[in-house]
Amino acid sequence: MALLQIAEPGQTPQPHQRRLAVGIDLGTTNSLVAALRSGVTAPLADADGQVILPSVVRYHAERIEVGAQARLAAATDPFNTISSVKRLMGRGLADVKQLGDQLPYRFRQAESQMPFIETVQGAKSPVEVSAEILRALRQRAEATLGGELVGAVITVPAYFDDAQRQATKDAARLAGLSVLRLLNEPTAAAVAYGLDRQAEGVVAIYDLGGGTFDISILRLTKGVFEVLATGGDTALGGDDFDHAVADWILERAGVSGDLEPGAQRELLKIACDAKERLSDVDAVEVAYAGWSGELQRETFDALIEPMIARSLKSCRRAVRDSGVELEEITAVVMVGGSTRVPRVRSAVGQLFGREPLTDIDPDEVVAIGAAVQAETLAGNNRDGEELLLLDVIPLSLGLETMGGLMEKIIPRNTTIPVARAQDFTTYKDGQSAMMIHVLQGERELISDCRSLARFELRGIPPMVAGAAKIRVTFQVDADGLLSVSARELASGVEASIQVKPSYGLTDGEIARMLEDSFRKADEDRDARALREQLVDAQRLLEAVEAALVADGERLLSAEERVAIDSQVAELRGLLDSQDALAIERQTKRLSQITDAFAARRLDSTVKAALAGRRLNDIED
Amino acid sequence: MGTPCHFALFELKPEFELDLAHLADRYRELARQVHPDRFADAGESEQRQALERSANLNEAYQTLKSPSRRARYLLAIEGHEVPLEATVQDPAFLMQQMHWREELEELHEQADLDGVAAFKSRLKQAQQGLNDDFARIWQDSERRADAERLVRRMQFLDKLTQEVRQLEERLDD
Repeated sequence: MALLQIAEPGQTPQPHQRRLAVGIDLGTTNSLVAALRSGVTAPLADADGQVILPSVVRYHAERIEVGAQARLAAATDPFNTISSVKRLMGRGLADVKQLGDQLPYRFRQAESQMPFIETVQGAKSPVEVSAEILRALRQRAEATLGGELVGAVITVPAYFDDAQRQATKDAARLAGLSVLRLLNEPTAAAVAYGLDRQAEGVVAIYDLGGGTFDISILRLTKGVFEVLATGGDTALGGDDFDHAVADWILERAGVSGDLEPGAQRELLKIACDAKERLSDVDAVEVAYAGWSGELQRETFDALIEPMIARSLKSCRRAVRDSGVELEEITAVVMVGGSTRVPRVRSAVGQLFGREPLTDIDPDEVVAIGAAVQAETLAGNNRDGEELLLLDVIPLSLGLETMGGLMEKIIPRNTTIPVARAQDFTTYKDGQSAMMIHVLQGERELISDCRSLARFELRGIPPMVAGAAKIRVTFQVDADGLLSVSARELASGVEASIQVKPSYGLTDGEIARMLEDSFRKADEDRDARALREQLVDAQRLLEAVEAALVADGERLLSAEERVAIDSQVAELRGLLDSQDALAIERQTKRLSQITDAFAARRLDSTVKAALAGRRLNDIED
Repeated sequence: MGTPCHFALFELKPEFELDLAHLADRYRELARQVHPDRFADAGESEQRQALERSANLNEAYQTLKSPSRRARYLLAIEGHEVPLEATVQDPAFLMQQMHWREELEELHEQADLDGVAAFKSRLKQAQQGLNDDFARIWQDSERRADAERLVRRMQFLDKLTQEVRQLEERLDD
């Protein structure tokens, strides 16, 4: 490596004291990974210079494809090409059926209640599909940053419930990523904006992505980002705009009945293109199945109006929950690709009475904010003024009580972490067990809430009804994940669970997937080793060749020159061999044989400097 | 009740009247010190401690921030737990409650948003009145029963505030 430093002054490799950490925006439609590099936090690009990775996974018999290539196959290979998988995270088969014809996959009930998708590689859970996306981003980050990651901050919609968060964390685990924190998307966006502008005051973040909508109200005070309230809809996004346009096209084209999955994908693509073009022009030509016509922006605006209205209603509710008045809000930030739609911008502007901010790319802002927080959590900016994020739980947490009612223990918009206990009692004489049913939601009837988990407290000593005192404690950590414990106070009998969501994966499923992913991790590791060796080898080759051109004749004897040339040729020949070990050995050999040459070059540089001559003069 | 005392945590004397802006500042300072994010690369036991201390701090802040919860807490540390949801031996106030509820019903039926706004500001005034009364008497051991009655009234008005918010939501549909 000595040669490199002489041959390329000013490009010395960075010392790698820093712990590598990234921010990942795992989106419904697109995903990104961002990191801090030479003082700038920005998304990382792939080999083709693309920062956006379409959240599409295609299963081939022998391999898996993620991203733009996979997306191209959406129409031709619909069953094996999975997109918008985020909509299935932490959901049960029944929920998924509600999404209905929007999802052209073949689902299968598995051991857990999670819907599995049939592919050529067998049944895949949404968690596994998401893990493939995360794996691709991890590999991109490690290749770009040149080292293994200590961890990642992964963003989730603020309105994600416990099951959806847990599913995201499981996906990261399968992808071999250590999760530094699950961060709410709007909070991440606020970080990106707030830091950029040194902002103070109350900020509203309107985040309309491909499949989810979030609204958060935050107070920014001296580097503290305090979420006052959050709200949203985990089933509202730009995808719904596409479906509205698709329905309009079908109606106009006079096509009815169920479409084949491939045809449906085709139609949705046409609808999505029309939507995107309408952000810049007032009318677009649309052609489908022999029909063609014009879609006016006005018509489009009317089609999506009900969805925009739904989002605005969530905004009003969040403002009410935050306890601030609309007029106190000093800035409105737009996040998510769907906020490019002009009608969305104008409607939001109208509600808040001010022009929304759009100056950071709405697709990138969440990943950038996550990367900023990842740096902090990895311990890389202990010296500077650290920022602090105080987030909240989006939905109330509670228990089932008599009569099928939900008793709230922790109301929505409570700052996390939080621990809260409530006492319950027995309702029958001699009752020895109590069922604890954990729920999340705002409604009174348990049937309207999401069931998170059930567990039983057994061994309560026999007492008359109402005499036992059972304390149930809820604890929500900084990721927004819940654990519950129950304890009978007189006897000390205890039961506790880390909430395993009803719609999560079973332990058996996780074990199997982890095994799969370990196998994959070995392959990953081999691939990474090879890539690293190749980079080292190429770097050395370039350095040696440049040095030979500059000083070969002046500083080397004929035999020395021949020896070096042959080692160079040897290493060049190995570059395509895929043999990491051989490349490593040969790189070392070349490095050793050029050591003396390097020393001589260094000496001659020093001598030249002492003689008061510039290096260029010698080279000339 | 949790130790240390919520007030001591913020270096405040146990008093009902409180500078909320100062409390918020202090909260943010303390949160900086104990939040789990500060311990992301620390050992497991340190992380668990940070989680607990942070949860404690949040609970203390929520308690002190809300007048009714603060009032109830003050009585509790003096050894007078006021149970939640107790039957109110308070006939005059019961009449008033019924009156308020009826009014709210009416506003709902007529979908009267301006009426809701007016109702809210009256509710706020009533809450302020209760706070002032409580501040005056809570330390007087002779008037403990009155203080407890005031706390129950405060709790009822909190609940009513919730109901108004739910009504607003329904009217927003």
